[in-house]
Amino acid sequence: MKIHRIYAILLRNLYLFRRSYDRLADSFYWITLDLLTWGITGVYFQSFSPESQNIVFMLISGVVLWNLVYRTQSDINVSLLEELWNKNLINLFVSPLKFSEFISGLVILGVVKAMISLMFGTLLAWLFFHISIFSYSIHLVFFFLSLVLTGIWVGFMISSIILRFGTRIQTLAWTFVWIISPFSAIYYPLETLPNWAQYISRALPTSYVFEQGRNLLLHDQINYQMLAVSFVLNAIYIVGAFQFLKSSFRKVLQKGLVKVY
Amino acid sequence: MDALKVQNLTKQFGKFKAVDTISFDLKKGEILGLLGPNGAGKTTTIQMLLGVLSPTSGSISYFGKDFNKNREEILEKVNFSSTYTNLPWNLTVRENLTYTSYLYDIPNRKEQLYKIIEAFRLHKLQNQTLTELSAGQLTRVNLAKAFVNDPDVLLLDEPTSSLDPEVAKMVRDFILSERSNKELSIVFTSHNMSEVEEVCDRILFINNGIIVADDTPENLMKSLDTVRVRLVMSPKYLTSVLSFGNQNQASVHLEDREYLIELKENQVPNLLAYLSDHKMKYYEISIDKPDLEDYFLYIAGQNKNRDL
Repeated sequence: MKIHRIYAILLRNLYLFRRSYDRLADSFYWITLDLLTWGITGVYFQSFSPESQNIVFMLISGVVLWNLVYRTQSDINVSLLEELWNKNLINLFVSPLKFSEFISGLVILGVVKAMISLMFGTLLAWLFFHISIFSYSIHLVFFFLSLVLTGIWVGFMISSIILRFGTRIQTLAWTFVWIISPFSAIYYPLETLPNWAQYISRALPTSYVFEQGRNLLLHDQINYQMLAVSFVLNAIYIVGAFQFLKSSFRKVLQKGLVKVY
Repeated sequence: MDALKVQNLTKQFGKFKAVDTISFDLKKGEILGLLGPNGAGKTTTIQMLLGVLSPTSGSISYFGKDFNKNREEILEKVNFSSTYTNLPWNLTVRENLTYTSYLYDIPNRKEQLYKIIEAFRLHKLQNQTLTELSAGQLTRVNLAKAFVNDPDVLLLDEPTSSLDPEVAKMVRDFILSERSNKELSIVFTSHNMSEVEEVCDRILFINNGIIVADDTPENLMKSLDTVRVRLVMSPKYLTSVLSFGNQNQASVHLEDREYLIELKENQVPNLLAYLSDHKMKYYEISIDKPDLEDYFLYIAGQNKNRDL
């Protein structure tokens, strides 16, 4: 891997952000709306049962942490789509750029934008609801890493599908990840789900993170084994999704990069 | 050592063979024209040469190295420009060239960018986004992008279409000077036959995915032994001229007072003798030898007949 080629991908996108306000705004817009909606709802519910002190924190931290998955995944996919919309893949790959370098560039962009979004969400939560996500202390780092990894493999899977079918299924970039959100136990315990859904939940790394987040909040303890499971699952899915992505790229080369749009 | 060597290259899409076991080479410093009718297989070939389309079979090597095994190293010294591909439209000219330059291992990046911006007269446009440029200006940016890594081999797909004659000449001169200064090797496609004649050392004619001719432009033109004789004289001679045409298998067309006679080159003296013997007085005469366009039309015509 050559750093300057990854830098080229970052630079191309940074230049784009200067003029594409929607690409910049998406780091702030959705998290603000979600945070206000869920935060105010939480405050309202808490007014019925003042003893449920943690309800607002659970909802707000759920919004901020889930946003990490969505932001990472969506930025990987929208950056890929940007090359398809511009029919620019051919210009990139007539250069020595390797596919892995191209994907690395997109992942770095996704992670950086997810971090910016996390910082922004954390600031808003503190400003509007006097809630600090940093109450998770060092565990926040584990939560962040695991959720970003999930965003990456989901991003790889959707990128694979987009490469195979082109922009006619581009809406997956904004919608697909929400399929796993009900099974991720973001705002409710896993046991709330029906039995069949719990099996799906246990196969998702995200459910372990949100479960342990609640565990920490309600019982002031954390099961590190469960967190480790989330990392193992992420590792397996990342390897699998990357293989799928590489095979999709090879398949695209069979019909020609010029035909992908 | 050849700059590029292609052996038995084939691309099949389902049952359709777009490129069928073609082999050719490109010498160092040579400009090779790749010509053929639409759908002949030129673009498919260029895409395989760039690695953005996998061949079904065959091999490609640059500078004596297998392309498949040395992709990165080879593409450092190869580049491409086509009128039919886009660069990111919402980036400025300079931004496009700058980020592209980072895709390559260029030691003197700033100097190289300055050189190509000057060479393609882009200094006044460099801060404009591509949406603000005309088609001709976009073509210049595309070409400048192709020179960003100071390539040894350049693949140009219709590089001067949509350029006005002055800028097209400037681009041709730049390409020719780069070739003589650093022995740049070029594969060049164009539908402008006079440009191909001017620029290319050798021409590969592709039709239905196979190479039907591989020669210098001069030899290709010579291979057509038909010439066109244009005579301006009275229409009353039509019967006599048609009679000459029938005897000599020449085609005759008359429009107003202008006769157009297509015949074998060695029959021209017979025609002149015939005119003299029959005391046919003409006011103007011109004899046109076949050019590359005639050859192109001849091959394209063969293709059409086969399709029918």
